[in-house]
Amino acid sequence: MTTSTFSKTDEYGFKRPDDFDYLEYEKFMTAYLNYLTRRNMEWISLMIYNPQLKRNSKLKKFVRTGIPLILRGPGWISVSGGQKLKDKYGSNTYRQMLDKPINEDVKNIILVDIPRTYPDNIYFQPNSDNQKALFRILCAFAACNPDIGYCQGLNYIAGLLLLITKNEESCFWLLRVLVENILPDYYSKTMDGVIVDIEVFSRLVKKKCPEVSKHMIALEMPWALVATKWFICLFSEVLPIETTLRVWDCLFYEGSKILFRVGLMLVKHYKHDLLACEDISSLAECFKSIVQQPFPLNCHIFIKQMFTEIGSLPMSLINDLRKQVTAERNAANKSTSKNKKV
Amino acid sequence: MANRAVPQRPNGQTPGKICQFKLVLLGESSVGKSSLVLRFVKGQFHEYQESTIGAAFLTQTIHLNDVAVKFEIWDTAGQERYHSLAPMYYRGAQAAIVVYDITNQDTFERAKNWVKELQRQATPGIVIALAGNKLDLNTMRSVQTDESQTYAYENGLLFMETSAKTSANVTEIFKAIAEKLPKNETTNTAGQGRRLVESEGANKSLSSCCK
Repeated sequence: MTTSTFSKTDEYGFKRPDDFDYLEYEKFMTAYLNYLTRRNMEWISLMIYNPQLKRNSKLKKFVRTGIPLILRGPGWISVSGGQKLKDKYGSNTYRQMLDKPINEDVKNIILVDIPRTYPDNIYFQPNSDNQKALFRILCAFAACNPDIGYCQGLNYIAGLLLLITKNEESCFWLLRVLVENILPDYYSKTMDGVIVDIEVFSRLVKKKCPEVSKHMIALEMPWALVATKWFICLFSEVLPIETTLRVWDCLFYEGSKILFRVGLMLVKHYKHDLLACEDISSLAECFKSIVQQPFPLNCHIFIKQMFTEIGSLPMSLINDLRKQVTAERNAANKSTSKNKKV
Repeated sequence: MANRAVPQRPNGQTPGKICQFKLVLLGESSVGKSSLVLRFVKGQFHEYQESTIGAAFLTQTIHLNDVAVKFEIWDTAGQERYHSLAPMYYRGAQAAIVVYDITNQDTFERAKNWVKELQRQATPGIVIALAGNKLDLNTMRSVQTDESQTYAYENGLLFMETSAKTSANVTEIFKAIAEKLPKNETTNTAGQGRRLVESEGANKSLSSCCK
């Protein structure tokens, strides 16, 4: 891991951008490696008492402090309910889904997207085993979710799952648990869930950072322009990789509300930068640049603050907002279709 | 990154007008929308361009005589299911490039649907350009130039066949759009995104015609 500080690719195979701040990264990594070593020891002792990683408040706290890389694959499977899903459907499911034929159009879109998934990552080179595995995972997923088929964005999620778990079957179950249990209707043909959640997010910003909310409205910047990728890719391809993985640790344990926390943390921390933007163009640039700043890179502090600085964010509040937004959308749709009839 | 957006002018020359326009790219998945933008903005081409999720934002400025035209470019996801998000992307746009792949007839049909939707729902007076991309794959062509040309003419669209790979017609199509966009304040009908500013202290003083 230490050598990666000086490498042009990181430990996950991602090429570092030309303007990568090696100095800042080294500063962060030196401190973070010490932290990781300590955490690994603590996880080892936790595993003695809770080898199955059964959910309890202690485990939740541990997950928030980061699952060690070596445990991430199995860790995600246990804490997310992936194992339960696997037990329910049977361990043969993946094989069976691989044999199940899928719609040719769906297959073709997946085929086109495979070489377009992390093309700069050394583990996703043309015709690599990972590319082939990714194709199989996405096809198997489409086979067991014909209503969803394939939604662009799932390629990035499955790809990153594969890099971490290094096991395509685990990846298939984790993808299923995310799409079928954790995220409500994000990837469906109408993408209703993500549209609703972006609106929910905008209402949460209004509540927690009203100035930014007002500013976005004043500059006529819809949250969808910024946040669609956040929610669809679950911050992969948005935040620095280490931070994304820490976010996913929490996401697998605590569910979709984590995504709101991450978004709110970014907005809150960079409030002054965002408010300083005078037009939509600089605002768009600002949103692009804040995710690459030292604060989100420093994943440990970022995750810690996202739980302490945002305040309470109960699932009941999120669910109420989701219901409210859905009802408003339904009412609006009804009135448009009525108008059309007239 | 932001520096790239700052309009440049030769030393000592009196600054001219800067016009800012919002431009949106629409079209089926993997026709080359992001590649066209990447070629236009950074002069680069990647054989395997990452699929765009949601919308990506970039800016580029070109110069027409004494006017600097700054494009605020919103590049969008092409997959059909992202369609419901599209109105948010093209709202307030003064220009659109609807892209199809000349080797794929279905993408041309999809392009026509985008044109129809823009003409019905986007900013009135929006300048629409149709781009038949992947001209470098001319030997595999399935959409004939005549067909697209006629369609574009009948619908009042700018039309060019482009190649993000060889860069053929890429700057040209943006330039053609810039030429067609109204650059005097009296014709300013669009709301958001269109700003005409005097360039000294441009960032600070959005003049009254901007909004």
